[in-house]
Amino acid sequence: MTLVVKRYIVAALSFFLLLSLLIVAFQESNMKRKETHQDAIVTGANEGCVTCHMKDSPALVMEWEFSKHAKVGIGCIECHVAEKGEVDAWKHEGTYVSVLVTPKDCARCHSKEYEEFSRSHHAKAGEILASLDNVLAEKVAGLPDNNADAVNGCWQCHGTIIKFEKDKDGDILRTGKEGKPVIDADTWPNSGIGRLNPDGSKGSCHACHSRHAFQSKLSRSPENCGKCHMGPDHPQIEIYNESKHGIAFYANRDRMAMDKKGSWVLGKDYSAAPTCASCHISAYMTPQGEVKAASHDVGERISWTLRPIISSKLNMIIYEDGFKEDFPHTRALPKIGETLDTNEKVVENEELVNKVVSRKVEKIVTWEERRDLMKGACLNCHNDTYVDNFYKQFDGLVTLYNEKFARPAKAMMDDLKKDGVLKADAPFEKEVQWIFWELWHHEGRRARHGASMMGPDYTHWHGMYEVSKHYYTEFLPAVIEAAEETSHALGNKYRRKVEELLTAPEHAWQKGLSKEEADALKSAYKKRYEK
Amino acid sequence: MEKVPKSSQEDGQSRRSFVASVAMGAGLLLSYGALAIKGLLFLIPPKTSVKRRKIYAGKLDEYAIGSIQKFIDLEGKEILVKRSETGIDAFSAVCPHLGCRVHWQPENDVFFCPCHGGAFDAAGRPAAGPPKDGNQHLFKVPVEVDKSSGIVYLQVKDKREA
Amino acid sequence: MGNSKDTETKGGLKFSEMLPFDWELLRHAGSEPVPNHLKKWWFCLGGTVAYLFIVQLATGVALTFYYIPSPEFAYDSVANITHNVRFGWFVRSLHKWSSNFMIVALFLHVMRVFFTQAYRHPRQLNWMVGFGLLGVTLFFGFTGYSLVYEQLSYWGATVAANLAEATPLVGELLGFFLRGGPEVGANTLTRFYVLHIGFLPMVAFMLIGLHILLIRLQGVTELRFENDPPEKAAGHFKFFPDHVTSEMIVGVLLMYLLVMMALIFPAELGERANPAVTPPHIKPEWYFYFNYRLLKLTSLKVSVVLTMVFGGIAFFWPFVDEFLRRRLKANDSVIVLIGVVAILMIFTFTVWESFSG
Repeated sequence: MTLVVKRYIVAALSFFLLLSLLIVAFQESNMKRKETHQDAIVTGANEGCVTCHMKDSPALVMEWEFSKHAKVGIGCIECHVAEKGEVDAWKHEGTYVSVLVTPKDCARCHSKEYEEFSRSHHAKAGEILASLDNVLAEKVAGLPDNNADAVNGCWQCHGTIIKFEKDKDGDILRTGKEGKPVIDADTWPNSGIGRLNPDGSKGSCHACHSRHAFQSKLSRSPENCGKCHMGPDHPQIEIYNESKHGIAFYANRDRMAMDKKGSWVLGKDYSAAPTCASCHISAYMTPQGEVKAASHDVGERISWTLRPIISSKLNMIIYEDGFKEDFPHTRALPKIGETLDTNEKVVENEELVNKVVSRKVEKIVTWEERRDLMKGACLNCHNDTYVDNFYKQFDGLVTLYNEKFARPAKAMMDDLKKDGVLKADAPFEKEVQWIFWELWHHEGRRARHGASMMGPDYTHWHGMYEVSKHYYTEFLPAVIEAAEETSHALGNKYRRKVEELLTAPEHAWQKGLSKEEADALKSAYKKRYEK
Repeated sequence: MEKVPKSSQEDGQSRRSFVASVAMGAGLLLSYGALAIKGLLFLIPPKTSVKRRKIYAGKLDEYAIGSIQKFIDLEGKEILVKRSETGIDAFSAVCPHLGCRVHWQPENDVFFCPCHGGAFDAAGRPAAGPPKDGNQHLFKVPVEVDKSSGIVYLQVKDKREA
Repeated sequence: MGNSKDTETKGGLKFSEMLPFDWELLRHAGSEPVPNHLKKWWFCLGGTVAYLFIVQLATGVALTFYYIPSPEFAYDSVANITHNVRFGWFVRSLHKWSSNFMIVALFLHVMRVFFTQAYRHPRQLNWMVGFGLLGVTLFFGFTGYSLVYEQLSYWGATVAANLAEATPLVGELLGFFLRGGPEVGANTLTRFYVLHIGFLPMVAFMLIGLHILLIRLQGVTELRFENDPPEKAAGHFKFFPDHVTSEMIVGVLLMYLLVMMALIFPAELGERANPAVTPPHIKPEWYFYFNYRLLKLTSLKVSVVLTMVFGGIAFFWPFVDEFLRRRLKANDSVIVLIGVVAILMIFTFTVWESFSG
């Protein structure tokens, strides 16, 4: 080996050495000096709480330690502190605390979310206490001194009024050496999203932001909403699970950035699928490249109400004090600055009462504008023709339900009331009332919800099929039967009414198919199955 | 290093060997130079010593202008948080002179240390006593105010981890 | 010496006059022609060990900037180096791999020397110096690993001290001296630290100096085979730049290999040493495997005695070799066979131990 060759070899080897050292430098720069696990900070004020409660309920404290609150020293006192004199406060180990942490307490730091949430439909969830649903639970299923169905069922999702037990003088009952106020066991525990709190606020943040870890990945998950948004009367989670959105989510859960700290923006932080939160609450990228901020007003992007017997579009009226009302599109829009009488349900003496409050209109958001807000989320993945056509399809189904079944059925029920067959104060006396109830409240909603969130099976088989089947085979006969029970004359009247109804072309199938339709059907089956 | 070797080479190949020498020299210089640089960087100690933790310290509107609030840090030492017209500042109440605890004197508009009569103005600058002689400022604790929620955070020293 | 009178009056800044060496002699010694057989790459193994020793010195000194030799802080200081210090993982990994390579190169060097019969008269002394260096190197490895103070460090040290204790006659004293007490603890760590960064380097320097001196004075043995023509061209080539460049090839190649090993297999950190918990598998470093396997096959005392016997034979090998050839009329093939058998035994025991427990 000559010297020259040797020198070249040294040069070549040192080149490789240099390369390897560059890789070393690269490795070094990539070394994430491990963010050592940040401990929870227990400030002086919370030390006492943690010491005792770590023994009493260790998992609860451990969950708090896991939370982001604990990482910055926000602990027990910051949320549970109360003022002397508040109805649910008592002096516990030297400090005034309250078991109940209401949205007003959370608003100390999360004021924006509180404002949005308080005017939303979620905060109003507890107001069904005066509805037929409640009647079913308390009266139909309940005993005079035992309304456990409402307590364990409806109220756990919808929330209830927090009530206190009273002593013989009518004051709040207090117990133990600290004088802890005794909450009516029927109303606590309750984390219903529309809980009516003693401090006047409505709702409960931890219905969705489960305590005490308050994990964002939990609140962003569809299963979270599915606790309440499920079942025969509003199967949103089942529909989501059926839909492509749900499928995409479950297949790509690890790409959803569910754990992301801070904002969580569709079209920026994740793209694989929408969750409930994505469309109804969370932030998304607009076509202009801006971030549409999240809003805890879950109705902000809703254009139809699919709840009532007959669905209508919703216009949002926002008043000066932040109070919000939804007007069906059939109701005339007020002018900005106009003063209107609004109906507000409040708790007085632990009872839900309706108050009429005069308010000035500050802002109007039309159903088209609300729909555009929703479309903004859709447009992240779908183009505008797709989105607009979807809404045409959706609108079509709601209209179909409205026009073919809901309106005629309601008209029939109204007539029965007018004729005295049905009494307004006996809502579930006759079978027709049950059938009608389920027609709009169960399968009727399932059909509409199914169409709203692309769940075809819910739209048809659990939805319109059952609506039509029950309408023809159960409802209409039951109308006649109810009338008949009252009097034979009324029975005949309604028999004729139904007959007349069924003469409309959309009901002609009842008499049989036309010759062409029958032939087409026969030949189709023959072609398919005969060999 | 000889650029033109007198070793077992013919003079006709002197240019080739020159290139070879240069290549070798450059290679060695760069590669061992890189090693030396890494060695030097190794010897510069990393700045891991003092970690800071963000701690919640209430809301901005809970601090009246001109008022002082006390706060205990993770080592049990006091921090004085003062809201002024211009903003919100936090100082360690440990006097930089000999470690006594200072307190705010609203009548004199100073942070006063009773041990040896040291005093600091509202910005923590030494105004009187031994701290003035030694030009020792009150130790400032970084304050962060979240604009959207008005939450106040203090960045306190965290020496709890090993 | 010579020219002092001249410079007294002349003055000046000539450097070579400031240092009163015989520069001519030095230049001559430095550029002495190198025998051609040293062109064979086998002969670079000794230089390899020397180069790796220098790497150990450099990386070792760097590590002492951050290492803390007390049971309370040792592990954490090593963790600090590995996780926090800039290129700490790299320097530590280089140090670890260089030690492993050094021992491998050392064994290969010993084998080269053995099979070239370079230990024969008049080079017996150098062989023993070399063996001293082997002992020093192994001791370096042992003390160095114990300094990390992981579980295996602590318990490995415990086992080693127990082995030392089993030495006949001086055992108990030896064990006590090694541990600095009845148990492995703070004293042990300090002792090992002093040995590792102070005493052993000093001994190593002296022995290396002696080793190189003897080589330079006695020359390197040629690799001659029986069938070689009697006067094979005993040519020479230039030390500088030819031989130096060859050495540079070896040096850069070794550096490259070390960096790659550091990148692909960086040094890790096991569990912190816990005197209360004995790990299910205690193992020394791989270069002690053959010893460990011997211990498992026999007993503490027997294995120590056997090690001493084998070690003794190896240390005094030039004289054993002389005895075998002169008195027992053994020829070279027998010597080679003994070497091969010894190597295979060590290898087998090492591999066996690496697979078990």
